[in-house]
Amino acid sequence: MFEGTLNSFSSFAADTELRRQCNRTRRIGYLNGDVVANALSESSGINARVFRGGRCGFSSSPETDLAAAERVLKAASDNARFLADHLPEIGKPLPPRTVTSFTGKWEEDTTSQREILEFLGQIDGYLASRYPNLVSRYVGCSCLSLEKELKTNDGVYAYSFLPRSNVALSLTAMTEEGTPVERVQIFGGSGVFARNFSDPALLYPEIDRLVEELMQKREGVFADAGRKTCIIAPELSGMLAHEAVGHTAEADFVISGSVAGPYRGKEVASPLVTLTDFANTFRGQTLPTPIYVDDEGTLARDAVLIDGGILTGWMHNRSSANRYGDTPTGNALAFGFADEPLIRMRNTAILPGTDTLSDMVSSIDDGYYFTATGNGQADATGEFMFGITMGYEIKKGKLGRALRDTTVSGVAFDVLKTVDMISDQMVWLNSGMCGKKQPFPVGMGGPHVKCKMNVGGK
Amino acid sequence: MNLEQIARKGLEYLTAEGATDGECLVYRGTKIEFNYSSGTLDLLRTVDSVAVAFKALVGTKKGTASLNSLEDADLRRAAKDAVSSAKISKEDPAEGLPEEIVQKSFSAGPLTPDKEEMLRLFNGFFAELQEKYPQISVDSATIAHSVGERVFCTTNGIRLTQRYGGYSFSPMFMAREGESTSSFNYFSALFLNPDRPLLDLAGGRQVVEDTLLQINPVSMEGKFEGEVIFTPACFGDLLGSVEGNFLSDGALIDGTSIWKDKIGKPVAAPCFQWSCRPRSEELAGGCFVTGGYEAKDSDLIKNGILQDFVLSRYGAKKTGLSRNPSGGGFYFVDAGDKSLNDMISTVRHGLLVGRFSGGSPAGDGTFSGIAKNSFEIRDGKITNAVSETMISGNLAQMLLDITEISAERINDGTCVLPWVKVKNLTVSGQ
Repeated sequence: MFEGTLNSFSSFAADTELRRQCNRTRRIGYLNGDVVANALSESSGINARVFRGGRCGFSSSPETDLAAAERVLKAASDNARFLADHLPEIGKPLPPRTVTSFTGKWEEDTTSQREILEFLGQIDGYLASRYPNLVSRYVGCSCLSLEKELKTNDGVYAYSFLPRSNVALSLTAMTEEGTPVERVQIFGGSGVFARNFSDPALLYPEIDRLVEELMQKREGVFADAGRKTCIIAPELSGMLAHEAVGHTAEADFVISGSVAGPYRGKEVASPLVTLTDFANTFRGQTLPTPIYVDDEGTLARDAVLIDGGILTGWMHNRSSANRYGDTPTGNALAFGFADEPLIRMRNTAILPGTDTLSDMVSSIDDGYYFTATGNGQADATGEFMFGITMGYEIKKGKLGRALRDTTVSGVAFDVLKTVDMISDQMVWLNSGMCGKKQPFPVGMGGPHVKCKMNVGGK
Repeated sequence: MNLEQIARKGLEYLTAEGATDGECLVYRGTKIEFNYSSGTLDLLRTVDSVAVAFKALVGTKKGTASLNSLEDADLRRAAKDAVSSAKISKEDPAEGLPEEIVQKSFSAGPLTPDKEEMLRLFNGFFAELQEKYPQISVDSATIAHSVGERVFCTTNGIRLTQRYGGYSFSPMFMAREGESTSSFNYFSALFLNPDRPLLDLAGGRQVVEDTLLQINPVSMEGKFEGEVIFTPACFGDLLGSVEGNFLSDGALIDGTSIWKDKIGKPVAAPCFQWSCRPRSEELAGGCFVTGGYEAKDSDLIKNGILQDFVLSRYGAKKTGLSRNPSGGGFYFVDAGDKSLNDMISTVRHGLLVGRFSGGSPAGDGTFSGIAKNSFEIRDGKITNAVSETMISGNLAQMLLDITEISAERINDGTCVLPWVKVKNLTVSGQ
């Protein structure tokens, strides 16, 4: 850990951020018993961003000593001057940051590569011996940590450490027609490996359930295409919150013309829907991606995007908050040492309601229950799609046959207006990476949500 | 020390730690980037990068480690990590070093950025949008110049060096009118000389003009089987899925590729020719080296017949098949003999699809997703942009169902691709 290394910088010539950062990753994987990945990686460096005339100069270096810090400060300042010399001044000056000092907790990653290999090897052995008819099995581990230290011209100091560790399984079986079907499941979340995983056997019940689902899917049917009543599990309601609504409420996207722009203060969803991008804590629970001070030095606060169906606000960095006259929310985050902070989500979710899942299933005569997704995308119009990798028919209030892979789509605000039941459960997930110029590990979650969506079928 | 000396030093450290064989890749580069976001050119960014990647073999056990430091102590530590990982890994007879002992250097592209010209072109792009296409709103855009040197050395005597410099441009935008907004759209291009308006790269002007027609799309109703014309960029994405699902290491090693027994057999319409050409001089962003070998062009499908998989050295050893010399990507699809307009004129009912937003295709190639930035075609004419319209089909069947390929092709610096018409895809609306 490098807490305190920026302390030798006590003053800066302009509105400046100086950030040191180290990202560490591990990737280990078995494919059908062979070790196909066994890698350790580290990427560290220092960067500076200097504001001048409403624009920024940025520079980064993989070296992290005092001389490198001086170099990036000068280069960032030169870049800011180049823009100022060639382009007119824009915007009003940014107000100073609230003076903050935050020191997050470092967590030593005490598990060795050998221990993780052995852990995964045991899981692979369990799968190979218990389920020999699987045509393919991948057992992998992915660990990522972001360690950052930030200092600004107006006295903000922040040290943060953001670790996550996940074990992923990808299992493939063949149908009678000879076509492969697959189930993927990711375990773990926030924290170093030892915090999430102690004994492989603790995962065996989950693995058995996954194989059972795969066998159901092997016998599964294709969904009927068309607009259907659906229940989406937390994995999907989190994706809906993040992809379909969250991105349209990022202030930089609003400035560019996101569909959400004209609807602030207006009804965009059922009154049952409240949707928030949480900074770090929900009902006393630390969230998957806890952000206390963002990478511009802003104290992070929750951004309520939809409150009782009304679109209430945006996620901001300093500049966009200044433009809209809002309070900065602390959503400016950078993935690597060479990356500038962008407005992006932290932990985004629809809040739980009062219904039970069984009541929700009972209420549907002909529809679908979607439980797992492979990916999701949305765009400026709020139109989204999610790949569905596990789901079931609902017929006359009961769960029916499993489904093969399909896709669902809709327009976010239209779909949210059809929500008529929300479960009382709340599940948080921490394996997603958001892509927006740079990747970033995000948390998302939510309850089960009943709504109407377009289902792609055969 | 120069990069080759650092790589050789890295190999010494691997051997000293107990590796029986090893690879070391060393990279150093600089990127300069103008960045437009939140409605303004708001950032000029310079990034210095270094990277070192070790592969250690202890017998046939493999370990890898990477870092972004050229400091001697860091190199020693990473080499030790790689060897430690190898020692605890499992024996795998397919592991090893590239066997072709080659010592070559390659260089391409402008190694020094023209910053003033980059800014002039970037400003020119926004000025032209404002003048000719004022409804276009740019969400984000970057113009960048990257220069880098990459040295790959192995303990069995391979040395491959490549230096590359080049420019890239990538805007994302939408069209707005009142409270209506189109789907976002984008294009990207790699290029060697900053001497053309940015809108003229990679078919960008057509993408912008199409976006203007997508502000008020119509939701399709019902379901039908029809003909779909994919734009070059969209078809390139689908070919990426074909490579991943049917031709790559993973699908062939685990035996799930439905093309595993198809070499020499028809897998596409006879008019379809697909190759990977990393060495093509037509590409601004080609490459010389892949997986420790000198990269070479390779045919994948010729006259509809499957010629080769895209296996790495490891995948080839694992399956007993041959390694593909291209490394994949850098797609070329041969041009057809009809113009895009002629292709549209023969569609009775179908779509022109600019972007496919869907889940990852299933292992057998089944896919479904939304047709974004797309238009309905009726009786040979484009009638309207569409929304909430899904297409579904199967990647393997789609290649067999190709009916026409355009004479026009788009070169974005990484691929050269035409418009491609496919029959019998399912199109469904609300």
